[in-house]
Amino acid sequence: MRVRPITTIKTVVAAIEGAGTGIKLFTLADPDHWELPPFKPGAHIDLHLPSGLVRTYSLCNEPADNARYVIAVKREAEGRGGSRALHDEVGIGNVIGVSLPRGGLEPGAGIARHVFIAGGIGVTPFLSMARHLARTGDADFTLHLVVRQEAPLASYLAPLIDAGRIVVHYTSRGGRPDLASLVGEGGSKTLVACCGPESMIDDFERVTATWPAANVHIERFVAPPPVIDPDAKPFMLSLARTGTEIQVRAGQTMLAALQEGGIDISTSCCGGICGACKVGWLEGKPVHRDRILSPYERERYLMVCVAGSEADRLVLDL
Amino acid sequence: MLDKIDTGSAQRTARLGWTGVVRFLHLAPRAFLPMRAMEQLTLVAGKGIEGDRYMIGREEGFYSHKPEEGRQVTLFELETLIALKRDAGIELGPEEHRRNVTVEGVPLNHLVGRRFWLGETLLEATRLSIPCRHIEEITGKAIFDPLINRSGLNCRILRDGIVRVGDTVRSAA
Ligand code: FES
Repeated sequence: MRVRPITTIKTVVAAIEGAGTGIKLFTLADPDHWELPPFKPGAHIDLHLPSGLVRTYSLCNEPADNARYVIAVKREAEGRGGSRALHDEVGIGNVIGVSLPRGGLEPGAGIARHVFIAGGIGVTPFLSMARHLARTGDADFTLHLVVRQEAPLASYLAPLIDAGRIVVHYTSRGGRPDLASLVGEGGSKTLVACCGPESMIDDFERVTATWPAANVHIERFVAPPPVIDPDAKPFMLSLARTGTEIQVRAGQTMLAALQEGGIDISTSCCGGICGACKVGWLEGKPVHRDRILSPYERERYLMVCVAGSEADRLVLDL
Repeated sequence: MLDKIDTGSAQRTARLGWTGVVRFLHLAPRAFLPMRAMEQLTLVAGKGIEGDRYMIGREEGFYSHKPEEGRQVTLFELETLIALKRDAGIELGPEEHRRNVTVEGVPLNHLVGRRFWLGETLLEATRLSIPCRHIEEITGKAIFDPLINRSGLNCRILRDGIVRVGDTVRSAA
């Protein structure tokens, strides 16, 4: 029997709870309750759903709670299918493969005050950080949650709301809060972060435009549409390990070309923000377009979902 | 040059030798999961470690799709962890290198093809372990290069038994 390589962490769905209109909390655990790979507050994981879909969700529990991954999923009837599959098809005891956790913030790196601004379900990336900071007392924080009229995950958030650490702003009653007054004065010891709809992120970027980049963090939970350069030219991908050549048509993504060529690439956001599709490159002149790789990493890696090529030929470590 | 040397002959005249000790024991039941420190491990001859991902027949390790009869138990030198810190400034814990047994005072790289006692169990070293990028992904530390040539030893279990922290390691030659 041929054994397939193991590329994901095997978890089972240990609990599913309703957590407000259209939202469910899923608890994933090792089949023997072994500790799971550690994560930083604010980290996310990819879920490899039984249907083959791969979707990214923020971890909502805190890192010290190391035998489970808790994710909150809002059912998006018009979404791309991941939340529907989780809500409608996944049950307790189902096996789900997940990726190693990625991303998140290193708490305590000289930061004394955190201000998190979340729109609706955009609260999820901040929950593990909020719980971590509330428990350790390492730094001060306030989480402003902007909702229309119902806070998501209400009972899950209640202890932090009661403690005054989460402030809920209802736009149906008071209109949109003024982000400038919520973030307050900038400074090297303050970190502000935002996750929510694009309009909120735009406002937030305006308000923090003069802040040092290291003190501002934006979490996009919906990948922006991929950028396709109208002047894009076709180019040739050479796969160094297999010797295969694959043509990328003008305007086509490298990812789509690779997939057409039968190359298996793990992906999730397809918008250059999650990190799932990282591939090494060896020769050529990539155009990066992702929002996660550092300049140093870009010398060796690219994100095939968004990257392009300036030269006619690009050699990948595949 | 090398063919002129009768390997092992020095042993008879100069009392070369080593005795080591088991410092840490670790296992994990599945790929990617953190290694858990144990006070003892149960080694099964010809198979592996009870409860470990690479136990033959269990096949839940990252490399299980590349089966290897000589990878029933893996060892690592405590001295390498100390050298990593000293020379590269990298703090790597015994639970992070992902080998099962961390030993001190055992020249692992010299043991390929030889037999030795690990506590009451008898092992035969099959090959040196090779570092893998996978470990950089799991630990988030750039340890691939510094671990080249000192990434531990793969062994087959010839006589089974229980290995405990503090057990003696000695040559069976
Ligand atoms: S799939 Fe998310 S970065 Fe490429």
